[in-house]
Amino acid sequence: MKIKGFLKDVGGAGRVTKRRQEVFDNASSSPKPYDPIGAVAKALHPGFLRFKVEEVRVASPTAKTIRFVAPHFPYFMAGQFMTIRLQIGDSLVTRPYSISSSPFQTRGEHPFVEITVRKPRADGFVADYLYDNVKVGDEFEGEVGLGEFHYDAIRDAKNVVALAGGSGITPFLSMAREIAFGKLDMNLTILFGSVSEEDIILREELEKCVCDKVNVVHVLSGDNPNWKGEKGFINAELIQKYTHGDTTYFVCGPQAMYDFVRKELEKLKVPARRIRFEVFGTPRDITKAEGFPLDKADKTFELTVVQGIHETVIPAKATEPIAVALERSGLKVHTACRSGACGFCRVLVLEGDFFVCPTGDGRRAADKDFGYVHSCATYPLSNIKIKLNIE
Amino acid sequence: MAEKSKYFKDRYDVIVIGGALAGMASALTLANKGKSVLVLEQHNLPGGVATSFVRGDVEIEGTLHEMMSIGPKECPLKIRKFFDEMGVDIEWLRVPEAYRFVDGKTGTDVLVHPGDHGNFETPAKEIADACGDPDGALYRKILELLQLCNTVYNSVNVLSVTHMSKVQMLLKHGEFVKTAGYSAKEVIDSFHLPQKAVDILSAYWIYVGDVLENLPFTVWAVLMADYLGYGSYVPKKFSHEMSLKMCERARAMGAQVEFGQRVDKILVKNGHVEGIRLANGIEIAARYVVCSAYPDKAYTQMVEPLSEVPPAALKFVNAKTIGVTCFSVVLLLDKSPEELGIKDYSTFYAAKGMDMKEIWKEASTDGPYNYITSICTNLANPGCSPKGTCVYSITNLPRPEGWFNVTEENYDEMRRKNAEYFIDMESQRLGVNLRDHILEMVIETPVTISHYTGAYQGSIYGYMHTMDDHIVARLQMGEKENFIQGLSFAGAHQISGDGMGPAVTNGRKGAKIILDMMEEDAKEGR
Repeated sequence: MKIKGFLKDVGGAGRVTKRRQEVFDNASSSPKPYDPIGAVAKALHPGFLRFKVEEVRVASPTAKTIRFVAPHFPYFMAGQFMTIRLQIGDSLVTRPYSISSSPFQTRGEHPFVEITVRKPRADGFVADYLYDNVKVGDEFEGEVGLGEFHYDAIRDAKNVVALAGGSGITPFLSMAREIAFGKLDMNLTILFGSVSEEDIILREELEKCVCDKVNVVHVLSGDNPNWKGEKGFINAELIQKYTHGDTTYFVCGPQAMYDFVRKELEKLKVPARRIRFEVFGTPRDITKAEGFPLDKADKTFELTVVQGIHETVIPAKATEPIAVALERSGLKVHTACRSGACGFCRVLVLEGDFFVCPTGDGRRAADKDFGYVHSCATYPLSNIKIKLNIE
Repeated sequence: MAEKSKYFKDRYDVIVIGGALAGMASALTLANKGKSVLVLEQHNLPGGVATSFVRGDVEIEGTLHEMMSIGPKECPLKIRKFFDEMGVDIEWLRVPEAYRFVDGKTGTDVLVHPGDHGNFETPAKEIADACGDPDGALYRKILELLQLCNTVYNSVNVLSVTHMSKVQMLLKHGEFVKTAGYSAKEVIDSFHLPQKAVDILSAYWIYVGDVLENLPFTVWAVLMADYLGYGSYVPKKFSHEMSLKMCERARAMGAQVEFGQRVDKILVKNGHVEGIRLANGIEIAARYVVCSAYPDKAYTQMVEPLSEVPPAALKFVNAKTIGVTCFSVVLLLDKSPEELGIKDYSTFYAAKGMDMKEIWKEASTDGPYNYITSICTNLANPGCSPKGTCVYSITNLPRPEGWFNVTEENYDEMRRKNAEYFIDMESQRLGVNLRDHILEMVIETPVTISHYTGAYQGSIYGYMHTMDDHIVARLQMGEKENFIQGLSFAGAHQISGDGMGPAVTNGRKGAKIILDMMEEDAKEGR
């Protein structure tokens, strides 16, 4: 074989080595790190931030809006959520909240984000805590701009009908605000289900956003003789009435509403790609989930937590996710969606049996093979040993 | 050492910074030699970009197009052999074809299949036929070129683990030696092929970097021989299967692997590594560190004190050219590949013609990009998404500098603009509007890469293979390029360069350097 002549060919290795040596000899020996891409990645994903409560105001007789300020918030998309980490007694807990302010409000001179918390019913002791205890000046830590529940101009139809129930209105208020600020180009009709007029949260704030691109329709399910607007549940007929042409439906509300709305959208033969559900947490009562072994329901097990070469043993109830057991014992676990989807709270089960919440299971196939679970949606069914990331 | 932690041992033989493929390959190699190993990964998953994500209940491959150097079970190639030796048991699926190459300007549209066991007759015939080859002369020439690639490839595999004299090398590895000084273009030109054949043979070029004029033939030969002579593979449960199985195997062999641990500093004293410091201030002792962060980052930000970094190390990083990053649109579509008219697993599409210099110029901008690779995962892995859906990704590999003007403010616009361009370009080629079928869409950008892996400038390809930084020269000079005793590197920035197959080789190399240093230290009583 010959490329350019024997001598030239066989001298090639020497030639390229000499060339490389020369290039290296002539290079500068002063450090010049330059990574603008990395800088943007850090600004967009700063991880945990510290922010301060600037204002707490009444959003309805049963809801409060909390405004957090910080020198800088990352860009997020209207519809996304944030997490807040709280020390409550011995527990260190993290909870997700949809952001109700608009991304635009994090720019400018006075950046802030807002969430709206409802006076809770039975379960969530964190929502309880914020509603009853939060005060101006409090400082928290959390992550801003998480989740997949946001409009996407490439993927979604330009006309969006939002189906909201109760505090599920918050992501849509964020979208409505962003549209009203002229920062988001879409047509939004919000069908907002509440029980009674007094029950409607964030009503005035929503009204302020109404424009040629934002329409808010209140739908009351209770007995409201004086109400002139839409009544009953958000059913196929009502959805049809407010649908004009190619439409994407965004759904956020309590779990019961999801089951109902899913069937109603089926009746309208809406294609799957035009329906987007926000994750809704794990069931209030996991024992009602399909496949949960009821004989284990009242049991408390030993949960051995391995972190590096260190082990701790804590109690864990069968009816509470492993993440909750960790939080109750003051162990840090990095959670975000609290619905089994995002996988931030992924842990490895080394020994023992467990139950995974059948809705919203976002585990990867290979993870399942090795016993990795998302601890926010996994329940112990025996004494169990897990490997948890070191914090 | 300052702060200590109950979570770690007092000392490890080796700390591996980064739990991607290269880091895990290092950990496996070192644990297999009985060393106590600690792997620290900043993300909560192993694998770096070799990962998957779940959207709408569907698991989707993150980045892998195809793995090279796997080969069939009965005739394993280098990477499969390593996995076999380490007990990493992955379910591999063979990718049916090499690629379809489509040139939007000339109308060239050809499907190329790989041969088996180093036989190149099938691809040579397919490429020759596409160019018109009445007497079979072109077929013979292409076959000869591919066989030359194979000879060089075999030599590289031998020489990367063996030392021999120059004379021996010339006798046993003549083709390797005689082509080593040339660019891919110079060697290809000596075969006098028609331009169309060269264009088709150049499709994979983007997977290694610089234009053929400045790309070492050796690198191109390895790429062509491996893919076209032996075929490629993907793991059934996505690249996460590979990453996780390496991780769990390393653990089973005694390595401690910890996620969510960001290493800030590599502690060096009197020219020798002493340990590392985590972002939270915890210090961990080890006299050896395998670092997956780019040397650029290590030598300018991580080594503490920086006065321990010799000028030669800075010359080394400043002389090198950072390789490409990645821009990818990943779609979950609401129809099967058949329904959408998608026939091929892998398509290279030169929308405005195979003008490499023009394509390379575009790669240094923020888009639009007109040379793309599309992958329909289902066509190699039929069960990978629910019935009646498919996963389709569209990728370009731009150079980091094209994205240097990215800011928090313009980022969304930059990624959207390119995503739309890709989707529309592919819609046009396929004759189906992909926008009407999107169930889920994820846009991966250089910023995404940087966020998930911390890779310097979001680069996925380490240092570019160029004639100025020739692989043969790298091999010859490599031994003098470990500038701090106790520190080696594992990643695309190691000798073998980019790709998930080479990542494993790079990891093994990082481990080998450490093992050699240990021996040296022992000999010298250090």
